[in-house]
Amino acid sequence: METNHYLRPGEQAFAVALVLLSGLFFSEAYSISGFKGLTTGGVMPMLASGVMVVSSLAILAGTFSRLRSAETQTTIDYLFPLRVVLFASVVALYAVAIPYVGFILASGGFLFVAILGLWRKGPLWSLVISAVSMVAIYFLFRIVFQVVLPVGSLW
Amino acid sequence: MIETLGYLAISWVDPSLLLLTALGTFAGIYVGAIPGLSVTMAVSILISFTFKWDVNEALALICGIFVGGVYGGGRTAILLNIPGAPSAIATAIDGYPLAKKGQAGEAIGLTTVMSVVGGLIGVCALAVAAPLIAEFAIKFTSREYMLLGVIGILLVGTLSGESFAKGAFAGALGVMIGMVGLDPMTAESRFTYGSINLMGGIPFVVAMIGFFGVAEALVQLEHVAKLPIKQSVARVTPAWSDVRRYFKLAIKSSGIGTLIGALPGTGGDIAALLAYDHAKRTTKDPEVPFGEGAKEGLIAPETANNSAVGGAFVPMLTLGIPGDAVTAIIIGALFIHGLKPGPLLLTDTPHLFWFIVGNLTLANLFLLVFGLTGIRIFTKIVECPRAILIPLIVVLSAVGAYAIQNNPVHISWALGFGVAGYLLKRYGFQVGPVILGVILGPMIDSNYRRAMIGAQQNVGQFLYDLISHPISLVLSLALLAMLISQLPVIKEMRQN
Repeated sequence: METNHYLRPGEQAFAVALVLLSGLFFSEAYSISGFKGLTTGGVMPMLASGVMVVSSLAILAGTFSRLRSAETQTTIDYLFPLRVVLFASVVALYAVAIPYVGFILASGGFLFVAILGLWRKGPLWSLVISAVSMVAIYFLFRIVFQVVLPVGSLW
Repeated sequence: MIETLGYLAISWVDPSLLLLTALGTFAGIYVGAIPGLSVTMAVSILISFTFKWDVNEALALICGIFVGGVYGGGRTAILLNIPGAPSAIATAIDGYPLAKKGQAGEAIGLTTVMSVVGGLIGVCALAVAAPLIAEFAIKFTSREYMLLGVIGILLVGTLSGESFAKGAFAGALGVMIGMVGLDPMTAESRFTYGSINLMGGIPFVVAMIGFFGVAEALVQLEHVAKLPIKQSVARVTPAWSDVRRYFKLAIKSSGIGTLIGALPGTGGDIAALLAYDHAKRTTKDPEVPFGEGAKEGLIAPETANNSAVGGAFVPMLTLGIPGDAVTAIIIGALFIHGLKPGPLLLTDTPHLFWFIVGNLTLANLFLLVFGLTGIRIFTKIVECPRAILIPLIVVLSAVGAYAIQNNPVHISWALGFGVAGYLLKRYGFQVGPVILGVILGPMIDSNYRRAMIGAQQNVGQFLYDLISHPISLVLSLALLAMLISQLPVIKEMRQN
C-alpha cells in the first residue's frame, strides 16, 4: 500500500514502462535455459524478473487508486526539467570525451562548463574553482591513493 | 585474552592506522554534514581506491567515515534544518528550533557527547553479541542463507520505501543486475549479449556509485539554487547537569538503536525515528514541547543512530548479511580483500573482528574530540554551494567507477545507473534494495541451487526442508510474517 496518496506527473506511464521492461527481462531470463531444470543458470533470473513483473503490476494497479495531484506540472517539467537535461547532456559528453582526451582534460572541461552553468558567477570563478578542484583531485587520487587515471587515445 | 586485547589495540598503537581513523572520522563528519553528500556515497566511491591497500588500513578509514558521517548529518540538521543524512531527519525536528533560539552550540555539544555514549554502547553490543551469534550461525545451511538473503532485501524494501511493491521491485532489479555475467556454477552466459565487458559481470561498486552517487547528484539539481542559512554558534561544551539529566534517555535510546541497527536491512534512519518516537511517548514533562526545541527530541535520535553503527556490524560480520547500506558496501570491501563475512570470519580471522571493535571504539573517541572543536570553520565549509558539489560528485564517481578495474566502460555504466536511479528516486523508489539485490543476489542464487540439489531437485522436498528444520522454520515463518504484514487488509487493520 502506497504512503503517498497523490500521483506524481507521469507516474502511471512510468509504471506501464516498468511492466513492459519487466516482461522483457523475463523473456530474456527465459531464453537462458528455459524451464529445463530447477537448478539451471536461468532459474534465479526468471524468479527475479518474475518478482519484477508481479510487483510492477501491483505498482501499476496502485496508481489507479491514487488521486491526481492538483499541480499542473507536466511529466517533462517534473522528470526532465531543462537543468537536468542540460546537465545530463554535459555528463554524457564527459563520458564520451574521457577515452579520447583523458581524465584530466575531460574532467577539467566538465567541471568548468558544469560550474559555469549551475553557479553563474562568471567564467573566471568557474575556471579557478575547476582548476583548484582538479589539482586537489590529482594530488589526492594520483599521488596519495596512487590510482591510475584514464588516459586519452588522442594524446 | 591477551591475544584479543592485542587485536583490539592494533589501530590504537599503529601510527598510520591511528591517523587513518582520525582522518576518516574527521572527513566523515564533513561528508555526513554537507547536504548532497552522503556516507553511503562517500564509502562507495572510496572503496574503489582502498582495495589495493592493506585490509586494516582500508577498514580504519571506512570505519572512521561511517562513525563520523552518521554523526555529521545531525550537525546540519541542527544548523541549517537540512539533515545531512537520512539518519538525522528526526534530529532536525527539535535541533533546528534550538538553533533558532541561539542554542545551536549547546545542541551540538550535547548531541556530540550523547552520540559518543550511543556509539560506545553499540560497539560493546557488537563485542558481546557477535561471537555468540556467530557460534550459532555456524549451524546455518544453504537453505538458511538463502532465506536470510531474501529477508535482508525485503526488509530494506519494506521499511524504507513508499510501498512494499516498490521495495520488492527494486530488490529484484538488483538481483537481475547481480546475475549479469557468466554463471559461476555452469559458466552459462547470462545477459551478456556477446560482450566481453559483461561476461565478467557488473561490479557492484559500479552499480553503487551510479545509484548512490550520480543519481543523488541529479536529484540534488532541483535544490541547486537554495541558499544556506547562517547560524551563530556560541559555547559548545555541554553543561554537566544536562549530560547527567539525559543520560538515562541516552542509554534507552542506545538500546533501541543497537537492536534496530542489528536487524538486517534496517539502519540508523529507522533507529533514530523509532527512538524519537519512544522519547516523545515516554517523556512526561519535557522542559520545552517536542517539535519546539526539546532536548529529549535531539538526544534520542542522535544517540540511537550512532549506536546503530555497532549494531549494523553484528549481522554483517556474523551472517554476511548487511545491517544497512553502508555495511552492504563494507561487505563488498571485505570480499575485495579476499575475506568472506559470515560465521567463519570470527573463527578464521578473529583479529579482523577485534580490530573492527577496537577501531570503532577509537573512532568514537575521535568523534568526541572533533565534535567539540572547530565548529566555526565547520559552519563555513558546509555552506559550500551545491553548484560546485554536484559536478564534483560526478567527477569523483567517474574516478571511482574507473579505478575498480581500470576499465573506462565502467564510467559509462555508472552514469547509466545514475540516470536509472534518478528516475526511480523521482517516483518514490529507494535505491538501497537495488544495491542489496546486487550484492545478495549471487549469494541467494548459489545457496538456492545448493539447497535444491540437496533436495534432489524435488520441489516438495525443498519446501518440506524449509519447514522441517528448526532454524529454517523460524526464518521461513519470519519471511511469511513479513509478506503477510504487507497485505493491504492487514495494513488497513493496523492503521485503524
